[in-house]
Amino acid sequence: MDTDTGAAPAGTNEAPLVHAVDVCKRFHQLEVLKGVNMDVMRGEVVVIMGPSGGGKSTFLRCLNHLEKIDRGTIEVNGHPIGYRRGSGDKLIEESAGVVARQRADIGMVFQRFNLFPHMKVIDNIMLAPMNVRGVSRAAARRRALELLESVGLPQKADEYPTRLSGGQQQRVAIARALAMDPKVMLFDEPTSALDPELVGEVLETMKRLALENHMTMVCVTHEVGFAREVADRAILMDGGVVVEDAPPERFFSQPEHARTRQFLSKIL
Amino acid sequence: MTGSIHPGVLMDFQFPVFFNALNSDLFFVPVLLVIAITLIAQTAGVILGFPMALARISKNPLVHWPVDLYLFIFRGTPLLLQILFISDGTAEFFNNPPLLYPVTRNPVVAGTLALALNEAAYMTEIIRSGLQAIDPGQYDAARALGMTPWQLTRKIVIPQTLRVSLPPTVNEYINMSKNTSLLTVIAVTEILATAERQYQANFRVFEILSVAAIWYLLITTILTQLQARIERRFGERQDIAAQPGFATRMLVGFRRPRPLEEPPEDIGGH
Repeated sequence: MDTDTGAAPAGTNEAPLVHAVDVCKRFHQLEVLKGVNMDVMRGEVVVIMGPSGGGKSTFLRCLNHLEKIDRGTIEVNGHPIGYRRGSGDKLIEESAGVVARQRADIGMVFQRFNLFPHMKVIDNIMLAPMNVRGVSRAAARRRALELLESVGLPQKADEYPTRLSGGQQQRVAIARALAMDPKVMLFDEPTSALDPELVGEVLETMKRLALENHMTMVCVTHEVGFAREVADRAILMDGGVVVEDAPPERFFSQPEHARTRQFLSKIL
Repeated sequence: MTGSIHPGVLMDFQFPVFFNALNSDLFFVPVLLVIAITLIAQTAGVILGFPMALARISKNPLVHWPVDLYLFIFRGTPLLLQILFISDGTAEFFNNPPLLYPVTRNPVVAGTLALALNEAAYMTEIIRSGLQAIDPGQYDAARALGMTPWQLTRKIVIPQTLRVSLPPTVNEYINMSKNTSLLTVIAVTEILATAERQYQANFRVFEILSVAAIWYLLITTILTQLQARIERRFGERQDIAAQPGFATRMLVGFRRPRPLEEPPEDIGGH
């Protein structure tokens, strides 16, 4: 793939690309996030695991302000996302236009693909670059074809998404997100809705994105193989907080917390 | 008597009267009038229905209550009453000021207005169900790509709503063409009123009403054909909508949509 994300060499003292501090979120009475802290460095691949209801997907959706937060800060590339500080540290939500611009730099891939069914594959990919970035039709098309090539679907440009298998749809969804040249990619259980035999092709695409393009990635997934092979860090979220945060070798073989061991015993 | 052909079966259906009425230009202007009123009133209903549907799904009570009230009134009372209300009622209630002359002194305008206002209520519900049929994931995906609410509405919401709402909307055009016959009560010389006037003069009720029926059938048949064509055109563009719904199949007949082009072989082998 040819997305240049300018991966920095690891170990430098640069600021994190994703910087989340004390993120709190409640749905009515239910406290879903109880103060999540997480930093993701440029070029880093972070896998978030945990039992359902633990807040991992909600946290991911807070990172591009698809969910509002009640307290805390989320910064991506140094810019606060969705809010600015008012007097007395009060969070003031930014206007829809400002939020939209912030989201343009954050790619997201969903469990259910969410391709636009009324558009051909190629138009799905060209839509945002043309409308949000103002890229010319010709340039957007060229880029979209390159991306389709890189996810292995060059011949599907003029198909409608419903004609594609789940794995193919998810690869188109990845290409669609990459067309915006995002600084970071968020993956929300990208393989959970797929038939088992289609999981591999999506993981392979994600793997290449991480290893060849050094894309910064935050992935909510239970794919242990992917986490071991690709991730720089594995994180366990449960009860609305980060329980464990460790390199995958340590995370899977000698986790610090009993809660992690308990979770791993169920999925391994 | 002309009952020479099967008097027992056809009673005394006077074919010459029937064919003369069918051939005459008696119904020419009324038919054009019905077509014009149908197109204007229904299209106005569609245009009014869109913002009203958006208002109805709003969480803000100040936005959706007025629309709820509007629907309560216009769906809860007979169309015939609404027509009389707007044509005759407003004139009396407001003491017929010159400002209202275009409505109160012109039954065609009053009737078209009444049909449009009534239809707006029904179109609101059709469009609302189209809006609510959109997968919430579509909004997530468009927002995540950095689209503004307006871009999202224009590129995602409206096309997908149209796709769902188009078949029932074309049905509404067909219904509207028949509902124009209610305007006979406010002396609009549409098809039915013309027929009435004719049989009151020649007392051939059955023959003249048959002619009127044929004109209505002609209009609804044309609209039904148009519906089939529109749905086929849309069917070429996406797979799911290519499957006609139950009502469509009933109206259009069991004609299959034109087959989609064969998909190219997946040579990549992924």
